[in-house]
Amino acid sequence: MPSIPDIAIGIIQVLVIMALAPLMTGIMRKTKARTQKRMGAGLFQPYYDIVKLLHKDEVVSDQSSWIFRISPWVNFVAIGTAAFFIPVFLTPSPFGLVGDLILVVGLFALARFFTMLAGLDVSSTFGGLGSSREMMISALLEPAIFLAIFVVAITYGGTNLSTIVEAAANSALLSHPQLIFAAIAVFVVILGETGRLPFGNHSTHLELTMMHEAMVLEYSGKSLALVEWSQSIKQLVLFTLIANIFVPWGISSSILPLALGIGLLAFVIKVSTLAVGVAFLESSVAKWRLFRLPDLVAIAIASSMIGLVFYYL
Amino acid sequence: MISDLVLFQVIVLLFLGGAMLGLASRNGRFARPIIFIPPMIGSALAVLFSIDILTGKPLSWIVPNMVPFFNLEVFVDGVSAFFMLMIGIVSFAVSLYSIGYSREYQVTKRISVFGFLFNVFVVSMLLVVSSNNGFFFLVFWELMSLTSFFLVIYDHDKEENIKSGMTYLVMTHFGTAFIFVSFLLGYLQTGSLSFDSLRNSSPSFPFLIKNLMFVFAFVGFGTKAGIVPLHTWLPKAHPSAPSNISALMSAVMIKMGIYGLVRIVFDLAGFGATPDFAWWGMLMVVAGSASALIGVLYAIVERDIKRVLAYSSIENIGIILIGLGLSVIFASYHLASLSALALVASMFHTINHAFFKGLLFMGAGSVVYATHTKDMEKLGGLVRLMPWTSLLFLVGAISISGLPPFNGFVSEWLALQALLSSSQIPSTILQISIAFASLPLALTIGLAAGTFVRLFAMTFLSKARSKFSLNIREVSRNMIAGMAILASACALFGIVPSLGISLSSTAFHLPYQPSSPFDAVSLQNASGKSFANLSMPVVAMMLSGMALAVFGFIRVMSGKTTKTTYGTWDCGFGNLNERMEYTATSLSQPIRAVFKALFKSHNESDKELYVRTNPYLVKSIIFKSSTRNIFEENLYNPIVSSTILVLDKIRKIQTGKINSYLLYIMLTIILLLLFVRLSHA
Repeated sequence: MPSIPDIAIGIIQVLVIMALAPLMTGIMRKTKARTQKRMGAGLFQPYYDIVKLLHKDEVVSDQSSWIFRISPWVNFVAIGTAAFFIPVFLTPSPFGLVGDLILVVGLFALARFFTMLAGLDVSSTFGGLGSSREMMISALLEPAIFLAIFVVAITYGGTNLSTIVEAAANSALLSHPQLIFAAIAVFVVILGETGRLPFGNHSTHLELTMMHEAMVLEYSGKSLALVEWSQSIKQLVLFTLIANIFVPWGISSSILPLALGIGLLAFVIKVSTLAVGVAFLESSVAKWRLFRLPDLVAIAIASSMIGLVFYYL
Repeated sequence: MISDLVLFQVIVLLFLGGAMLGLASRNGRFARPIIFIPPMIGSALAVLFSIDILTGKPLSWIVPNMVPFFNLEVFVDGVSAFFMLMIGIVSFAVSLYSIGYSREYQVTKRISVFGFLFNVFVVSMLLVVSSNNGFFFLVFWELMSLTSFFLVIYDHDKEENIKSGMTYLVMTHFGTAFIFVSFLLGYLQTGSLSFDSLRNSSPSFPFLIKNLMFVFAFVGFGTKAGIVPLHTWLPKAHPSAPSNISALMSAVMIKMGIYGLVRIVFDLAGFGATPDFAWWGMLMVVAGSASALIGVLYAIVERDIKRVLAYSSIENIGIILIGLGLSVIFASYHLASLSALALVASMFHTINHAFFKGLLFMGAGSVVYATHTKDMEKLGGLVRLMPWTSLLFLVGAISISGLPPFNGFVSEWLALQALLSSSQIPSTILQISIAFASLPLALTIGLAAGTFVRLFAMTFLSKARSKFSLNIREVSRNMIAGMAILASACALFGIVPSLGISLSSTAFHLPYQPSSPFDAVSLQNASGKSFANLSMPVVAMMLSGMALAVFGFIRVMSGKTTKTTYGTWDCGFGNLNERMEYTATSLSQPIRAVFKALFKSHNESDKELYVRTNPYLVKSIIFKSSTRNIFEENLYNPIVSSTILVLDKIRKIQTGKINSYLLYIMLTIILLLLFVRLSHA
């Protein structure tokens, strides 16, 4: 039976993720603005946006049903629950006994399921377009995700995230070459899952380039705040995953205050670096044609396959 | 206390009574309750009976010389009881549903025939899983196939239904022939068709005989289960049958193929725990992966609701087979606990699929009942007109897509864990090939979610895509109740999966038992650390806790806001109508484009221009897109046409003149005499 402080630290980690998630979005927007020689909005703009949206009135389409109304809530709840299973700055987690990496993927899929339904619910062509593209990309990403999980699981002996991160923290750098290939795959998966370039473009409302934005076009007010926030949380959860599995530096293995402080600091530095890196990448590549994206996913899958063969041979 | 034997006899008699009552009844007001209440009671008793067997001792009952030379042998062990439980729960729900659903047929047809066939169909499945003798197994198997054939063509006014019925009839007999050969091989070795004698002496059969028995059984039972490429009857027969029958066929009947395969592999064909037998498992994993992927790819582009569900059954049978195959591979390498894990995954998915596919077919039946169309392109907007049906259908859709916290997720989680455990097999070739086999499975799971988003959204959401009559109403209460039973089973097995897991492991005497209801699965790695844990009750609690917390937080944080209802954003053009919506075909267009090698889709467009010289001003466009079925075109059509060609040649000897027939008879006699003379020489 896990102790109360363990559970409390687990909950604090989730709160940290939820609180920092909009900041990461802010950092990415700022980076993109600076690379484009703009000043850009402040780092805290996403927080102001959420608060502003929470106080706005909502307009709901007369074609929509209860599916459209509950979808942002399901989204937030599923993604927020998934955040419980990710070690953020402490390896042992009582929630490792509840679920693993595959459950996290499952909860993301649940959120996506409802987002796609909501996109189709309002009978707008934008929504249909977004859901249609998301359906293809997410289905193709699934094998890439699972194969990467496969490589990580056989290397570190489990899909339980505490086990993985603990084993990762205790192993020497570059002692598992197959993980480099898995990391490439996971990076592509993260770009696809969060709809970053070259998959989709967050800062546009052109139907040619939209994926996620098209599905949630009809949302406003509170619902939009939930959608935006849960999207940021999902992004940070994925960044945390890649940071803690592949670069587990500084993560704490005990609940001593000093170790926890170092862990938190290391976590913030790692994910911010990743955010800046992804934003740079976004500034330097163009959106790919939709039907070229399967090639990119195929590269991810092939990379994991090479990793697997590396491990077994 | 009533003994198990009496209970078993009562169940069989109840169904036979229901069948007789069906034949005797007239098309009156009470006809439907009279026909469907006996199978309801019978199914409920079957559930009790199987629980009693699972918790107690197996039932064995022999009637010597029931028909000359053959004893009727009934043997209900845990495995049989497991499948009986599944049949019982699904047929209880379907019978309840049928009371309302068959009202439609009462107007145009004799419902009494339907009642007779329905009862015989269900009882024949119960008898298939409880027979312990090859002869009676085949008799009941044939009874099951024939009654289901007549039920498929029950709507015989439509030409199309007769055609698909014939495909079914041919394919099912093709399968039965293979099963028959498999049993005959055993008979040649033991001189008896009794399963008991097979069970006792099969371990000492020659290796070749064991392999042959397995291969023939695999083809035979695989035809019934719908393994690619033997699946071709399934997407034809299931949509043609009345929806309550499709529910039974898809949820339960195709599982009889799985039952047969399990019986043969683990019980009758002399499987031994040596690496020689690993190829049995590999064959199942490969066939399962192919079925899963091809099934779901056809499901995602199909526009007939019931055919989508039929293709998705092929997909799920594939997932079940992957689990079964892994279990065989692990067992042949003496990895007993991993073999148990894979078998639990497979059997848990079997029962889960029975629940959600039964539910989804009943939901599709309700849609057809209310709207009289199966075409997704014509549906839409039913969520407002049929709120209960749509809610229950959504539960089924989420479950079958393998999303938490419903049951499909748990069994797919177990299957994925079994795949991950393949790294413990001491054979590099197997390790790598099983790891690659996880690719099609993962792709299948991703595509399945897309399939059911599309199915649910096109049928129930947004605006209707054609002009319905406005008096579409929610279906009757008993139909909803029938669906609700299976929907709650999906939720229960998802949130408390230890129920289903301990059910499967009790049935198969497996070492794995969850230690508490909170503990679904806990696996350990080589160094004793947790490999993976899953505790669905806690996940469900966390989800609801998170929902409460978020709701409270948003309530506190947000100001006083109002909700306005307004039209969907139309870019300021106005007049947004249903013709501008995404359709089922356009929604899956990207998938069709990516997998174009499989679909070989063919587009044709015909433009009518205002001025012939200006291609940009178009008056009207007619666009046609069609996909082709490569299995029909490249595998079945050549076989069928060459068979017809050969038969045409043979027909030439039928001249219709008596002289030539006399000549044939004389020639035959001479040949026979020669044969007898020469063979005695």
